[in-house]
Amino acid sequence: MMLVCYHFFGFAQNQPCNYSVSGNVLNADTEEPIPDAVVKVSGTEKQTTTDENGNFKIDGLCSKKNTLIISCIGYADSTRDHEHDSEIHFYLTQEVTSLKEVTIEAQRTKEKGTETISQVTIGKAEIASNPTQSLASALSGLEGVTFSSTGANVQLPIIHGLYGNRILILNNGLKHGFQNWGTDHAPEIDVASANNITVVKGAAGVRYGPEALGGAIIVEPSPLLLNNPFYAALGTGYQTNGRGYNANLEVGQGTENWSYFANGSYARSGDRKAPDYYLTNSGKEEKALSFGVLRHLNQWDFKINYSFIDQNLALLRSSIANSPDSFIRAINSDEPVFINPFSYDINQPNQTTQHHLAKAEVNWWYAENARLTFIGGIQLNKRDEFDVRRNADIPIIDLDLLTYDYQLEWKHPKWHGLDGLLGLQYFSQNNDNNPGTQTTPFIPNYNTDRFSAFVVESLDFGKNTMEAGIRFDFETNDVRGRETNQDIFRDNYSFTNFTGTLGYVRQLSENSTFRTNLGTAWRTPNMEELFSFGQHGFKTTFGLLRFQDNDGQLSTSEVIPLDESDVDPERGYKFINEFMTRKNGNTHHLTVYSHYIENYIYDRPIGVFGTIRGPMPAFIFDQVDALFFGADYNWEKEWTNSLSGTFGLSFLWSGNIGDNDPLINQPPISTNFELQLNQGKVWWFDSSRWSIRPSYTFRQFQAPRTVTPESLVDGSVTLTTDSEIFDFADAPDGYFLLDLSWSFSWKNLHGNITAQNLLNTGYRDYLNEMRYFADDLGRNLIFTLNYNFKSRNNNE
Amino acid sequence: MKMIEQFRNFRWIALLFMAIAVVSCSDDDEAPEEEDELEVITDVTLIFTNTSDASDVVRASAEDPDGLGAQSLVVLDAITLSLDTEYTLTFDILNALDEDDIEDIGEEIEDEDDEHQFFFSFTEDAFADPSGDGNIDTASDPINYGDEDDNGNPLGLSTTWTTGSDALAGGNFTVRLKHQPDIKTSTTGAEDGETDFNLSFVLNIQ
Repeated sequence: MMLVCYHFFGFAQNQPCNYSVSGNVLNADTEEPIPDAVVKVSGTEKQTTTDENGNFKIDGLCSKKNTLIISCIGYADSTRDHEHDSEIHFYLTQEVTSLKEVTIEAQRTKEKGTETISQVTIGKAEIASNPTQSLASALSGLEGVTFSSTGANVQLPIIHGLYGNRILILNNGLKHGFQNWGTDHAPEIDVASANNITVVKGAAGVRYGPEALGGAIIVEPSPLLLNNPFYAALGTGYQTNGRGYNANLEVGQGTENWSYFANGSYARSGDRKAPDYYLTNSGKEEKALSFGVLRHLNQWDFKINYSFIDQNLALLRSSIANSPDSFIRAINSDEPVFINPFSYDINQPNQTTQHHLAKAEVNWWYAENARLTFIGGIQLNKRDEFDVRRNADIPIIDLDLLTYDYQLEWKHPKWHGLDGLLGLQYFSQNNDNNPGTQTTPFIPNYNTDRFSAFVVESLDFGKNTMEAGIRFDFETNDVRGRETNQDIFRDNYSFTNFTGTLGYVRQLSENSTFRTNLGTAWRTPNMEELFSFGQHGFKTTFGLLRFQDNDGQLSTSEVIPLDESDVDPERGYKFINEFMTRKNGNTHHLTVYSHYIENYIYDRPIGVFGTIRGPMPAFIFDQVDALFFGADYNWEKEWTNSLSGTFGLSFLWSGNIGDNDPLINQPPISTNFELQLNQGKVWWFDSSRWSIRPSYTFRQFQAPRTVTPESLVDGSVTLTTDSEIFDFADAPDGYFLLDLSWSFSWKNLHGNITAQNLLNTGYRDYLNEMRYFADDLGRNLIFTLNYNFKSRNNNE
Repeated sequence: MKMIEQFRNFRWIALLFMAIAVVSCSDDDEAPEEEDELEVITDVTLIFTNTSDASDVVRASAEDPDGLGAQSLVVLDAITLSLDTEYTLTFDILNALDEDDIEDIGEEIEDEDDEHQFFFSFTEDAFADPSGDGNIDTASDPINYGDEDDNGNPLGLSTTWTTGSDALAGGNFTVRLKHQPDIKTSTTGAEDGETDFNLSFVLNIQ
């Protein structure tokens, strides 16, 4: 029988050693009471069970603040346990007699294979306060998570210095199948439709596959709860910067054997504004819809999901420089080269994407605490990119990527104390260039097939949990591309690999937990890293197999087969430790990690080379041995029941330790503080909450040296491929930002007003590729209003 | 009995899984289709034709044989003109990446004449007409454009140059083709829009 534990932290107030806590445990969705739930006060012998009406009371407590552990055995149905009872099923209502305020925090049950890895989840409420932001930006408030961007619309999450296809994005149980290369391709995921998003900060490759070398981001849609009365949630929003507006609607219902949800959203924004000027061509338009249906039959669950998103994202006009004079001008100019009045129009350069995801999932609880799961998924990603060029209305990149994903998982019954999951996975991608771009394909056509098997097991003994896992992958790639003279090149290569993870969690005391995890991971170089050749945006890039280094001189005359090259897959070893302690209103989280990556692949400027337009800046992909070492620290302080603060600090040191050089585009040190005032009931509002968040991002002190493009163009500096790494511009100065937010609820209405960059500070973000050309966004006021309707009774 | 039913249920799903797996294994192995590369320019030839003697032609070429590859641009010739002569300057602009399918980019430019303009700079007073040092620094400086776009703005696929009686050795002649989609007007200059090519030749007049 599955035991579900949820930790709630409640605070009661009364006389010394005469405190009492009482409450009511309810199903959060149906508001029906949950009887027979075990309520235990952490650190004491005191415990009780809830009565028929879900009520409980515990007297004689010596401390004003208590951690309550609520255990519900097979709550959803005592004979058929399944995962419908996720944390949002429960909530605690307070009895005002002895309890002034109750704060509830629920801990998400961690995915098997990641239990010993530091992770954080953001929930629906946080997502709803700014539903039009990107996935990466929604997560960037978390310590150790930042984002790399190409302007305001394209943002990729970075976990501990790694991004792109070192971070696996699991969308609705499937690896998001998209053009995951470069900093200008963000995952096409509608954040507004997500129910929660979890960031796994360690190497989670054993559980999720090779791309989780640096971590994983798990986006989950509506959990399709059973016995859930009809609900509807309507959200709207407006933001001043970009004059953006959005709306989203979700409806859903769960009966005894059926559940469904459906949602849709629309968002549009015009040109954004830096403090002093409009960022011409930075608008976006996004449409999304999704639905899911669950059929529950005895021990069986059948689930289907479909989601679709359509995006049209503008990229900054001033970022296009296809000649040396325009690149030098763009880099040296204080203001972008193109500044036009505000417009909603999206012109070139821009990218349009349609992403379809269809999934079928079958779960069979064939015995107690044992489950078989089969997931089959198909994703179609259609991407067109438009550049400023002679035939601007013809896409310069036109790709269709078809992804198949099959997973069979067996959660075995407890066996000699072992709790575990075994899985088989088949993953296949087929990428095709659509003809008619009138340029040599930047990315070749390819087929990737991967067969994998994994096992993860955990063992509880006393206050300790051990977790271990191993995975086997076999991957083949078949690549067909064109050289610039339109000759066809072909390559076939395959890899076989084992990865492992070993972790340990120890409950040090009632208030302190220590977790440690050592994970290995590997990753095959992606198609851009190997085969890219040509100009895209302001960059001309050569993939690892497209150039040869002849005594410091670059030769691009032929494509080298992978087997004949010295290109190797990346191998990572990540050691991550998390210490958490909670005492007297103080909670400290400290995460310390080191990550060694053999054959780390990254792109960097290599110099300028002659073209008919003049000497152009060029980038190559390079492979080095890299070390990442860092720490995230987070301190939450509760002064009173209504006033609390959170201080966060993230530090990362990274370097190419093979050559003792710095890397490029690594997150700088950042620190932030958030002060929250929870007013509770005030005026006619049911709740009112204020937060003020100052943050400071330091200048990246580890940036490589600067070599200006003009010194390369006029020949005063000459470089070879052996020269020390450099950048075309200095790392931007550190900057201070201030955000202010107020959220309230009144009956079924929830609203939020947020001011981002309240002081309208002009700054450039080192991790934004547009930092060469323009300032980041100025002040933005975001207004959101959500109306939640929930039917009282469940008419099934 | 119930167990057997469930097993059947499961077997059906396993079968479905295998069927779909087999279908998706059928890979294609097509290469991307051949593309006509319209963006890249590999060869530019300046053709000065004596207006009073069509057989008197001076050519000067520059080429970048691998386009976006790392191989450098090579300026092959110097421009050597005669004294006191009027020339018409025209261009051969090619993409010869694919030797079997050489593209004439000059035709492209003519088709999109309202998005393109040639600009010039040269050693001060090298020519009797136009005088000065060309219009790259100041767009309104004199150049004798022999053509115009649909909006009546200068294009520059054909220009007229008259040498004087002063000889010149080792001078400079730069020609820059700008691409100015949606922004070309009568006053746009050599800094506006994007550069399609920018080539400097040695200029001799003897």
